[in-house]
Amino acid sequence: VTAFPAESAAAHGIAVCHTCCKLSPASAHRCSRCEAPVHLRQTDSLHRTLALVITACILYIPANVLPIMTTDQLGQSIDSTIIGGVILLWNLGSYPVASVIFIASVVVPLGKLTALILLCWSVGRGQQAGARERTVAYRVTEFVGRWSMIDVFVVAILVSLIQLGGLLVIRPGSAALAFCGVVIVTMVAAESFDPRLIWDRLGPRPEPAAKTFGARSRRDADG
Amino acid sequence: MSVQASEREQTACLQCDLLLPRPTIAPGERAVCPRCGAHLAAVPRDGLLRSFAFCSSAVILLGIAVSFPFLSMKVGGLENVMTLPESGIELYRHGMVALSFVVMASILLIPTAILGLVLALVGQLMRGRPAPWLAPAARLIFGLGTWSMVEVFVIGVIVSLVKLASMADVVLGISFWSYAVFSLCLTAALSSLDRDYIWREIERVQTRAT
Repeated sequence: VTAFPAESAAAHGIAVCHTCCKLSPASAHRCSRCEAPVHLRQTDSLHRTLALVITACILYIPANVLPIMTTDQLGQSIDSTIIGGVILLWNLGSYPVASVIFIASVVVPLGKLTALILLCWSVGRGQQAGARERTVAYRVTEFVGRWSMIDVFVVAILVSLIQLGGLLVIRPGSAALAFCGVVIVTMVAAESFDPRLIWDRLGPRPEPAAKTFGARSRRDADG
Repeated sequence: MSVQASEREQTACLQCDLLLPRPTIAPGERAVCPRCGAHLAAVPRDGLLRSFAFCSSAVILLGIAVSFPFLSMKVGGLENVMTLPESGIELYRHGMVALSFVVMASILLIPTAILGLVLALVGQLMRGRPAPWLAPAARLIFGLGTWSMVEVFVIGVIVSLVKLASMADVVLGISFWSYAVFSLCLTAALSSLDRDYIWREIERVQTRAT
């Protein structure tokens, strides 16, 4: 049915358990050691990842447009957005902190979404070059995701600390929730992407396959 | 990293599915996939002892972190003191129920759960006694791992301090310092807890009984 590269465990009918690393026959539904479900490949990996990436992209819009927090100071309310906060800190001269927030709230989420889209696209079109580099890119994407939560935590801390009656109060804004959603959804998206699909596209090596012309054949390893 | 065959036992890379003979790893060594560079397995130098030690200190530090003031600030004679759980609770008071839950879970509930589970699991493994809950506990530990964001929160606190510096005088409480060290201990405990090694230990303990 599906052609796996000869050196892969899947080609030998072996599925590796992602919870405990034990090898099981591909026919098994659950791992004999840890009882987690085992699959040759994650089900519908590309579709699920893309669906979650699109969700995160949509959530990213209110996260940047709406205020992440509101400062009530002496009867005056000031809304601040993620980018507004970065610019304010930059103008105040706190360059390191402004950079930290900019990286955590803008560079990391956008970089992650771009990386996942490119990974899905490269797998979808059957790219063979740079498999190792793409796997490393995936690992970085997976590792770096949680650090985007910094801005949400900053809001949580400011809101609980700055409560001084009518003098100075900080309230959380809806963008905090939207942004938290972006972080969680991209983390789940990264988890649902199966990097083994990158290597599956290298195809069964010793196969002097006859060249087919016309419609490009797509393997359905992820479906 | 030594990749020698230990008679016919095989392993597969989780990230590129390369089937290879199981590497023999000495304590303190770590094996990576020769093809994609992913981590395969490691054997901690002190076995389970290191995780247990780090977790024990983490429990004490977490206890201190929850029971003392975390941050306090002063503006023109007015003072406000905040404890660690309040960083989640205050969001709930402002009607942000979901957000408050996520914050509480990622900085307190999940780390506490992981801590308890690791202590119970590692303790039981060190005594070498089988128990029916070993496998579910290990599954939870490795499943929850990425959702504990203790170290991210510590960086968040530091960022908030800088943000507030122009507005008010902020004092770091004992709780903050112990939470910061707690985050280091938890990270160290989890990083010395190798997935492959722990599951092989569980299998060894469970099969010895039967």
